[in-house]
Amino acid sequence: MGTAMDMDGDVEERRVQVRFITKLKPPFKVPNTSIAIPANLTRLGLSTIVNSLLKAADDEWESQPFDFLIDGELVRLPLEQFLLAKGISAEKVLEIEYTRAVVLKKEDEPSLHDDWVSAVDGSCPRFILTGCYDNLGRVWKAAGECTHILEGHGGAITSVSVVNSEGTDSVTVATASKDETLRLWKFDTEEHLDQPSKIRAFKILRGHNASVQSVAAEASGSMICSGSWDCTINLWRTNKSDTEGDLVSIKKRKVKNKAEESQLEGEALSTLVGHTQCVSSVYWPERNTIYSASWDHSVRRWDVEMGKDLSNIFCGKALHCLHVGGEGSALIAAGGSDPILRVWDPRKPGTSAPIYQFSSHNSWISACKWHSESLFHLLSASYDGKLMLWDLRTVWPLAIIDSHEDKVLCADWWKGDSVISGGVDSKLRISSGVSVL
Amino acid sequence: MGASKKESVEVDKKKKNSKKNQPPKKEKHDTEESVLAQKLEDTATDYKELSADDDSEDYKSVGESEAGDGESSGDEGIHNTGSSEGLAIDGHSEDSEPDQGAEESDSSEDEVAPRNTVGDVPLEWYRDEKHIGYDIAGKKIKKKERQDKLDSFLANIDDSKNWRKIYDDYNDEEVELTKEETKLVRRMLKGKAPHADFDPYVPYVDWFKWEDAKHPLSNAPEPKSRFIPSKWEAKKVLGLVRAIRKGYIKFDKPKEEPRFYMLWGDDASSSEKTGHLSYIPAPKPNLPGHEESYNPSLEYIPTQEEINSYQLMDEEDRPKFIPKRFTSLRSIPAYENAVKDSFERCLDLYLCPRIRKKRINIDPESLKPKLPSRKDLRPYPATCYLEYRGHTDAVMSISTEASGQWIASGSSDGTVRLWEVETCRCIKVWEFGEIVQYVAWNPLPELPILAVTVGQDVFLLNSGLGNEEIQRKVKELLQVETPTAPVDSGNKVSGWSWLQDDEHEGIRLRHFKAVYSVEWHRKGDYFSTVMPAGDSKAILIHQLSKKFTQRHPFKLHGLPVSAVFHPTRSIFFVSTKKNVRVYDLLKQKLIKKLETGLREVSSISIHPAGDNVIVGSRDGKLCWFDMDLSSKPYKVLKCHPKDITNVAFHRSYPLFASCSDDCTAYVFHGTVYSDLNQNPLIVPLEILRGHAISNGRGVLDCKFHPRQPWLFTAGADSLIKLYCH
Repeated sequence: MGTAMDMDGDVEERRVQVRFITKLKPPFKVPNTSIAIPANLTRLGLSTIVNSLLKAADDEWESQPFDFLIDGELVRLPLEQFLLAKGISAEKVLEIEYTRAVVLKKEDEPSLHDDWVSAVDGSCPRFILTGCYDNLGRVWKAAGECTHILEGHGGAITSVSVVNSEGTDSVTVATASKDETLRLWKFDTEEHLDQPSKIRAFKILRGHNASVQSVAAEASGSMICSGSWDCTINLWRTNKSDTEGDLVSIKKRKVKNKAEESQLEGEALSTLVGHTQCVSSVYWPERNTIYSASWDHSVRRWDVEMGKDLSNIFCGKALHCLHVGGEGSALIAAGGSDPILRVWDPRKPGTSAPIYQFSSHNSWISACKWHSESLFHLLSASYDGKLMLWDLRTVWPLAIIDSHEDKVLCADWWKGDSVISGGVDSKLRISSGVSVL
Repeated sequence: MGASKKESVEVDKKKKNSKKNQPPKKEKHDTEESVLAQKLEDTATDYKELSADDDSEDYKSVGESEAGDGESSGDEGIHNTGSSEGLAIDGHSEDSEPDQGAEESDSSEDEVAPRNTVGDVPLEWYRDEKHIGYDIAGKKIKKKERQDKLDSFLANIDDSKNWRKIYDDYNDEEVELTKEETKLVRRMLKGKAPHADFDPYVPYVDWFKWEDAKHPLSNAPEPKSRFIPSKWEAKKVLGLVRAIRKGYIKFDKPKEEPRFYMLWGDDASSSEKTGHLSYIPAPKPNLPGHEESYNPSLEYIPTQEEINSYQLMDEEDRPKFIPKRFTSLRSIPAYENAVKDSFERCLDLYLCPRIRKKRINIDPESLKPKLPSRKDLRPYPATCYLEYRGHTDAVMSISTEASGQWIASGSSDGTVRLWEVETCRCIKVWEFGEIVQYVAWNPLPELPILAVTVGQDVFLLNSGLGNEEIQRKVKELLQVETPTAPVDSGNKVSGWSWLQDDEHEGIRLRHFKAVYSVEWHRKGDYFSTVMPAGDSKAILIHQLSKKFTQRHPFKLHGLPVSAVFHPTRSIFFVSTKKNVRVYDLLKQKLIKKLETGLREVSSISIHPAGDNVIVGSRDGKLCWFDMDLSSKPYKVLKCHPKDITNVAFHRSYPLFASCSDDCTAYVFHGTVYSDLNQNPLIVPLEILRGHAISNGRGVLDCKFHPRQPWLFTAGADSLIKLYCH
């Protein structure tokens, strides 16, 4: 209350009656009474007030930053200007909701690669999977701790995806590469080795006629899909017990018996044709739905059973990345050959205009990812070397991670509170402690 | 009795007058009237008994009543003289108009001629005078002394007959109404006829009735002509009907006269209407201003310095007139230039006949071609997002792979680099140690082969892209079994040879002179090379599959600059420094010659539909040829201040670009319509800047991305930039 009292000194200031509310758990709750605060406070001032209120209740309280929401929008201006801009009356008691601010607490040591880090996947909390331009995939247990090296691709890896991480001993991952193949790998994450163990793919998926640009696994892990420069999306089975795949694999095995004994070969289960240019990003959230983004400026939603595209959002720019999440797991975020990150709501009828546009980047956007649990938070990586953390409730980025020295090529969330990213500086960066919830 | 009558007359007059000619004074008259009426009313009440008597006496003997009145007047005669008069004067002098007298003057029925002869003038003119006017003899009529108000009031109280007295302003005297006159007034007030002996109800005598009124005045019978149709009339009507039928008479609508017309006529149009020689009026001189006054204000007079400065001016610019000051009109000297001016005027009239100049009044804005807005022509490259860094010297040439995933660049640092478009990663480097002039991708996606010109050699390189099968095919193709040494190897001058180049894993095609450029045929098997110094063998066409070379069979007129294949048909374009020649390769003949009119052609590009060609020149001009239209340029765009180094068409978007040594690249919209009647639409869209000048050279090459509306530019500053939409 100290600062609030201090500010009382200036009598001429306008004041607003506010009440602080929160959805946070009890230690973060402040008394539900309305207080008058100066109207020109910024986020810092509001945060100080809340911290002092909390300190009044609990002597042991340590100050921490908060973020404030008025009518579902984050306060990024002085309170007075914010109210003016949004046309909110300052006459009645204003309800300000506060949440813990998103802060980057720690920047881990970069994990060094031999070449550009082109792909990263953090969907399994036990490890990080990265793809690199030196044709190798790597599995990292933590920052700097590489456990496995996936060896075998003949070209740079462009995309990686964790297919199945149910069992501890056999985690399945898929990698896509510029050598026009995809490979499936199995490894045991619990192995403890001093040296990273080199493993080979158990299945090679051939069928694309050009570089494979992206790969995505279905939720159950039985299938994966891949987008390629040959303008198609191929669907593949991942399990060995697949009859079709087996037949093929047996045949192939006979041919290639001497060379690689254990490697199966798979053919595409089906192909989704419709894009006219490179399919740069695919995402497979539900059994029957695949989202894809392409350089032909469109985002398509495919029905897997029918093999047809259900809806088509035309963007106007070549797209590089796509992710679906947010409210109802339905909002499509995509970035491409311009500095604007766009978010569409396909449920909105009759319009294909993006509902949100975030334009703080300076160059092409290379990756975008929704937070798996939060409805509002979104991560984007750009060629300008920055990662930005977005909240749908404000047009300004919540946080900017500027640790990369050159283009950022890939980014993902890890363990729900870390941001992992790889780029042209050949480093995997892990920024942990991003408390989004 | 005379006085009474007089007043009635006066009242009447006033009514008349108020209606007649003095509307602003009407109110005053009204008030006056009302005052008078009021006064009479008052007196009427005073004299109730009297009036009763009067009524009864109305038709009795006049003499009797007269006698009675006479008595009464006689009784009060003594008092009358002063007091009542004064009051009356006051009453009138305060609110009555002085022009009463004037009104009275025009009364003809006055039995007594007015004493005052001033005539019909406002009496207020005499208000301050001692006299009120002049009598008939011209003597002044003196004003009488006035009673003061108190006296007149007292007189009014004392004298019961005072109400009869009315002051006559005009004659400055008091008039007493007689009994008869009051009676007259009273009758008029009641709305009766003024004279008592006028009977309004006399029986009507109809003088115009007589007994035999039913008989006509003449008893003659009706003439026959009245009821027989007229023969002559019938003839006349028939004639008219015939005339109408034959069209001699036309029923035109009456011409509508313009309601408004120029009173003095329109001098411009009237002279035109006349058929004969028209008079052209001499131009009117400007109206003189203040400075031409003989005595202008000081600020118009130039100072001596200014006058001196006029002498330095050119005679044309010198002011014709220098203002001077003269104190008076008579001190103005004779005009010194009078003779000269009139002489010049005569000369002018004699030597410079005037002609009528038709001036067209057109808004210059409306003459501008209606170009669509840039916004409607999106997408087009506008912003640079990516830079491809790695070369150490000027990038001479770039080429995009068919799918748009890769580009290759050749630089004067002696290397050829292969880049990934999306990430700007340099995938591969070939070292040559000599300036790489030109790179070209094979247009087939399944043959990732690069043709590179280095000095006298053309290298065919395996880019190493694609899967094993493609690689196998490419390696097979890039194998020269029997190195074909030139057939006439003894004659070194005219030779070319296909050699295996192990260093770069490709083919080395050796020419006898420096090769400038190499262009692939659309099917990816043939390619042409240009050796500007090669004379008759300057343009060669090579076949990759057969490792066979042939000479372009036509004579060249001038130094060849570039040679390109038609994008769809077997037509070959060869541009020399002045012209572009178009050959049909199947029929082996010249189809067309495009005359550029440029000083030195530097580059050429063919529209993907094949009917339009753009040509860039070293003098910064870009020509668009529509081959269906003419052999002359359809449009010449002069936009670059320096040499155009390259021009390019987009494969699918209606875009074309030119890049120049002034470090800019221009992007244009160029729609070609399938309708032959519609000419191509060319709209300049964007100037792309960003390259730095290096050794006097700017942007050396520009190429569109094959599928996106993006433009790659290669700069002398060793950078390749990608401009995106």
